[in-house]
Amino acid sequence: MKKRWIVGMMVLVMLAVVVVSAQARIKLVALPERGATIIRLDNPQATLIEEERVLTLQKGVNKVDFSWKGVSIDSDSIRLTVLSHPENVNLLNVSYPPNEAALVWEISSAAAFEEKVRISYLLRNIDRMITYKGVADKGEMKLDLKSHLILRNFSGEDFAKALVLLDYGEAFEQGIDHEETKQLLFLKADGTPIEKVWKFDAARLPWDPEKVSGNVGIPVTYKIENSEKSGLGKFALWGGKVRLYQDDGNGGTIFLGEDRATVDGKTAQIVPVGEKMEVYIGDSRDIVVTQRKMRDKKINIRRNNGNRVVLYDTDELITAKIENFKDKPAKLTMIQHIRGQWDMKKCNMDYKRKDASTLEFEIELPAKGKKELSMHYHRRNVR
Amino acid sequence: MKKIGIMTIVGLIAVSAVAKIDLVTLPQRETVQMTIYNSADLTLVRESRALTLQKGLNKLQFSWANTLIDPTSLEMMAKANADKIDIFDLTYPPRVRELGLWSIKSGVSGKVPVEISYLTSGLSWRAFYMGTLSADEKTMFLKGYVRVTNNSGEDYENAQTRLIVGKVHILDQIAALARRQYPYGRPGTYPRPMMDMAPPEISREKSSMTYARAVQSSVATPKVIKKEGLSEYFLYTIAGTETIRTGWSKRLPSFEAKAVPVVNLYKYEEERYGRSVIRFLSFKNDKEHKLGETPIPGGMLKIYRAVDDEQHLSYEGQSSFKYIPVEEDVELNLGLVQNVVVEPKLMNQKTDRYLFDRNGNPNGWDEIQTWKMTVKNTRDVAVKIEIQRNVHARNWDLENKGEPGKYEKVDLDTVKYTLELAPRSEKVFEYVLTKHHGRRAD
Repeated sequence: MKKRWIVGMMVLVMLAVVVVSAQARIKLVALPERGATIIRLDNPQATLIEEERVLTLQKGVNKVDFSWKGVSIDSDSIRLTVLSHPENVNLLNVSYPPNEAALVWEISSAAAFEEKVRISYLLRNIDRMITYKGVADKGEMKLDLKSHLILRNFSGEDFAKALVLLDYGEAFEQGIDHEETKQLLFLKADGTPIEKVWKFDAARLPWDPEKVSGNVGIPVTYKIENSEKSGLGKFALWGGKVRLYQDDGNGGTIFLGEDRATVDGKTAQIVPVGEKMEVYIGDSRDIVVTQRKMRDKKINIRRNNGNRVVLYDTDELITAKIENFKDKPAKLTMIQHIRGQWDMKKCNMDYKRKDASTLEFEIELPAKGKKELSMHYHRRNVR
Repeated sequence: MKKIGIMTIVGLIAVSAVAKIDLVTLPQRETVQMTIYNSADLTLVRESRALTLQKGLNKLQFSWANTLIDPTSLEMMAKANADKIDIFDLTYPPRVRELGLWSIKSGVSGKVPVEISYLTSGLSWRAFYMGTLSADEKTMFLKGYVRVTNNSGEDYENAQTRLIVGKVHILDQIAALARRQYPYGRPGTYPRPMMDMAPPEISREKSSMTYARAVQSSVATPKVIKKEGLSEYFLYTIAGTETIRTGWSKRLPSFEAKAVPVVNLYKYEEERYGRSVIRFLSFKNDKEHKLGETPIPGGMLKIYRAVDDEQHLSYEGQSSFKYIPVEEDVELNLGLVQNVVVEPKLMNQKTDRYLFDRNGNPNGWDEIQTWKMTVKNTRDVAVKIEIQRNVHARNWDLENKGEPGKYEKVDLDTVKYTLELAPRSEKVFEYVLTKHHGRRAD
């Protein structure tokens, strides 16, 4: 199966001759096999490989040649750690031969040793991804969540057997060849509670769906808390693609939608413990919001000596009809925006002020029900 | 045309020794279910197969060459002895395309039913409708159809077919995922141009036998479509199974409603339709209108009218409409008409109530317009007309003269008049609009 060795990583141990001026008699002492290998994937930016080899060292100065043809190694990252006789074996220097993906270690040894060393380096094009798959129950109250680890090895190097380390959890043994992708189950949580949220943002969605040629959908998001009561909460969850399905009640599933995990509306690198992973699955066409401005007048007008209007307030009225055509109740989060300095004259629903110009309403809609928001406000000191 | 292949390899230890695999079984697909979306090129396929496993480590190879399957969506689940069967990894081996290798540790030996599911592209469906108006245009016989098309590269025989109505959010096109050289892509750059990245060829060769088969599978009685809501979606399940070979499509009736009461609604609104009257057909998706059982997926409706007793028809027009939730009003735009006329006429205009600044220049005034609206129904059926007038001013007053005197304020500068006209009749009304400008508007 191995048609070719893309990787030529070899360690050549050369016995250096005592007389420097004399023509070097290069003797291949050993071609040591790679021993225990660790693939560390705890840093998403770079993958660290640690491998152990046994070098057969002679007394005196030894030259060890390390080359990595066809493999993308950051040469500055290569380190050599002497394990068996650190007191008696010293790395003197490292030199890089011209036009070659290689380096030569000059190692001084107090005696002839079978020396165990650890070589570590950053290897490019080998990484991991995380994906999630969740199956919601028919009532959309809970989720059976699975997470897969995807190992991708395009480094040019085959790893027959390696210990794979993530930033949490136990290390596990896994082989992975060059150009191979492996999908491994690494997290499973059944019955994780979910929260379903519909969100209308008046700054993002059209106000009058009737005047829009397609359907205006209200974005629907699932929220999953990374906490112990969710069967999670042991570590921060890595960001990744989340695919959600739903039990159709007949032994099958439907696909609900997919998204990158987000936290507070932003794509998440990680979902820390205690935070909620948000997954936007699609748009609801069974909740319809029709928003209109019914009044917009200048009041309290102040003029300068030239009788020009220099300052005024406004008298504005916004109404929003919210219809739930679903046969289930729904909770709609509605975001409204009022610019500048303002005060609310009368509003028939409670809201939270998210910031100076953002109002958030939580509107409980009964099944097949309708509600109307009426927001009467003044903007002050408009120039 | 069967391109999805599966085989079990037993007791294989050396991963690299793929060439030495021991082919044990090639199990047939037993049942297959397709759930086809229409808002995205996406179909969820679930198929059941019986694997013959041996106790210990089994390797199962699944290949999907020339299909449009998203390999990252592949999943296998044991449907019996699930606690004794551990499907612990899925490997996409190097330098082999469109092939996955499952590692299964089995505590049992013998036949094990499994379910394999994945997402594919290339299957689609759309809804379309035919409406036939009664001669008096008071009711409409509405028939809904769905058309399912298979361009997936795979023949799905005797498949349970389900259709999803709803707007699903996806990050990547399934077709693009299916065409990737590596299922999850690769880190770093591609070392060389990809050789065989052409999309799977969709074979169009059709022998006379397949034609015969298609005829054979045409149904004697229309099938029933079961409808149910799930999350934000509506699921249509077609009774029985369907065979839709790749390259083919199939029309299936989805519902029919006899005698849906409809209103002939005409609209006039210059800002939206120019100076023309637009005909609408309006009804509601509810019980009263013999509908309301399910939302109606968006699609094109062609409208005909019965013209005589011999079932001859005239074509009235067509309208494409968006998704209609249950209980929502529907207004189908049938295009502009000449036989219902709305004529606005500016009869008088003047300015008044001037205000002046210190230099004696006017900086506030009223503009007064008198409009006469003539509305004619030249048809021999009664019609309803909605006229919207946009005022183009922030501060205004409106006074009506004559019949009809009522209007409805739509938003801050739009009013709506609603009139009902008997066959071959005319109505005239007037209104006076006062727009306040400059300081008069403050």
